[in-house]
Amino acid sequence: MAVILIVEDEIFTLQMAGMMIEDWGHHALSASAVGEALALLRSTQQIDVLFTDIYLRADVLGGCDLAYQAMKLRPRLRVLFTTGNAVTDKLKALFVEGAHFLPKPYTSLQLQHSVDGLLAA
Amino acid sequence: MSDIAASDIVETVPSALIVLDRNLNISSANRAFYQTFRTSPGETEGCHIYDLGNRQWDIPALRTLLESVIPHRASVEGFEVEHDFPTIGRRTMLVNARKILRPGDHDGFILLAIEDVSEERVARKESKRNWQLTQSIVDTIRDPLVVLEDDMTIVTASKAFLTMFGITEAETHGRRVSDLGQHQWDVPALRHLMEKVLPENKPIEGFEIEDTFPGLGRRVFNLNARKISQPGNHAHRMLLVFEDITNRKQRERDALSLTNEISHRIKNNLQIIVGLIAYETKWTAAPCVQGYKAMQARIGAIAQLYDVISQSSRGDTVAVDAYLREIAKTMSASLLGNMSGIRIDVKAEPLEIDPDRAVPFGLLVNELATNAIKHAFPDGLGRVLLSVEQVGDQIELSVADDGVGMRDKGSAKISEKRGSEYVAIFVRQLGGAIVPSASEGTGTLVRIRLPLLLVPSGGAEPLAA
Repeated sequence: MAVILIVEDEIFTLQMAGMMIEDWGHHALSASAVGEALALLRSTQQIDVLFTDIYLRADVLGGCDLAYQAMKLRPRLRVLFTTGNAVTDKLKALFVEGAHFLPKPYTSLQLQHSVDGLLAA
Repeated sequence: MSDIAASDIVETVPSALIVLDRNLNISSANRAFYQTFRTSPGETEGCHIYDLGNRQWDIPALRTLLESVIPHRASVEGFEVEHDFPTIGRRTMLVNARKILRPGDHDGFILLAIEDVSEERVARKESKRNWQLTQSIVDTIRDPLVVLEDDMTIVTASKAFLTMFGITEAETHGRRVSDLGQHQWDVPALRHLMEKVLPENKPIEGFEIEDTFPGLGRRVFNLNARKISQPGNHAHRMLLVFEDITNRKQRERDALSLTNEISHRIKNNLQIIVGLIAYETKWTAAPCVQGYKAMQARIGAIAQLYDVISQSSRGDTVAVDAYLREIAKTMSASLLGNMSGIRIDVKAEPLEIDPDRAVPFGLLVNELATNAIKHAFPDGLGRVLLSVEQVGDQIELSVADDGVGMRDKGSAKISEKRGSEYVAIFVRQLGGAIVPSASEGTGTLVRIRLPLLLVPSGGAEPLAA
């Protein structure tokens, strides 16, 4: 069982992603803003994967910034990005090294494949 | 002996020569003189210069030379005399004069070499007029432009250029474009292109530069350059035009950001719908779960097509080759994951499709390819080929795999039947028909002919994926 921290400003989507992840046996932690996520990342809580939306309401590239700070706190953390926007090469250049990407809308199966792929990498 | 040699020389030089004695009587003249001024030795020799040809040589400028200048100097060069001759018309002459003293002869004589430079002067005037005309054309063009010498220095800059960049003509003349202002034009890629304009006659079309310009703020310029040559002139110059596209660029950026905003909202809303279905799936009886999952996948496919269309659209149409490649890429990434042994290849001719029909077309491809991926490869190894080609006035889409082949239709699952019903619906929506294919050995091939909703975009070279 892995622990996945989901960061998503759309509460319904946050809850649904959590449900999808728990359905296939992992544990989900939720945060709807950067500060909330960083508080969890600074704690001693086990976190294997950070699954974050890139465009967080208050913060256009909030997810990218969060991933940088998270990697400083936990260098071995795995990162999976998502967004409803088109992903340009310019945006990809802002990704932390080794990060994976899953476009919105993602199905339960696609999320499972992505997380499993990331954990196996 | 020396006299003969001198007269030989005098006869061969192309300039008109006359020899005057100290009283300004003509003692001799050469053939060039007689030809140029249409006179003869009989009319000339012994005659006073001012009396020559009805006193047409009684020219104030010549009088000044002969009476005021020569007596005080041994030689005069390049003295310009302009005069309207009754016989030969208006002429400009360059006169070289030399006082020659022979031993024992104190008075000596004066040798006048007269070069007719009228034509050269006319050409120079013409050239000056042309240049003024060019300059006035240059000044009336609204886009700032400069004319460059082959060493990249500025010969002339238009008024629009000077006004826009707030510099004077003196500040531009002889300077390189790369040295102007705050070196905004000093871009290696631009320099590289500019160096090819003259030697290779390779114009620059639409080189974009965005920078902050003093007094102008943030601007985007589109640079165009080409070689210009004047007839009869071997020197080549370069015309460099600066088109200010700041406003157009801003409109494009606004449109793009609006598109992104809408796309972001749509996809987030679709994510909610997929979430709702996922939630329902939890409480659904097992036989229905497959259907719910397929529904999620199809919603995902529509959302992905949305991106794909915007990425492969060329103005009013969507490029089918690019579109298929994007679909293949997206499917490979989302359905298969990176570890999969299933490859999706594309072989497509450069054809175009109208955006209205791009979504059903994409869903059709998605349905067929998904079927292949799901059912053709129990071992998880194989290849799916998506291809599009023009056949007469129709377009043929084919989806082929090298998998286990079509199973007995009777044993197909309900979900597969539904998949093929969707295929039939999309084909109908596109006004096409499924082409029956004989199954040969392994694998499955589905061929679909669609009417010319696709228009060829020039060349019909098949493009390999």
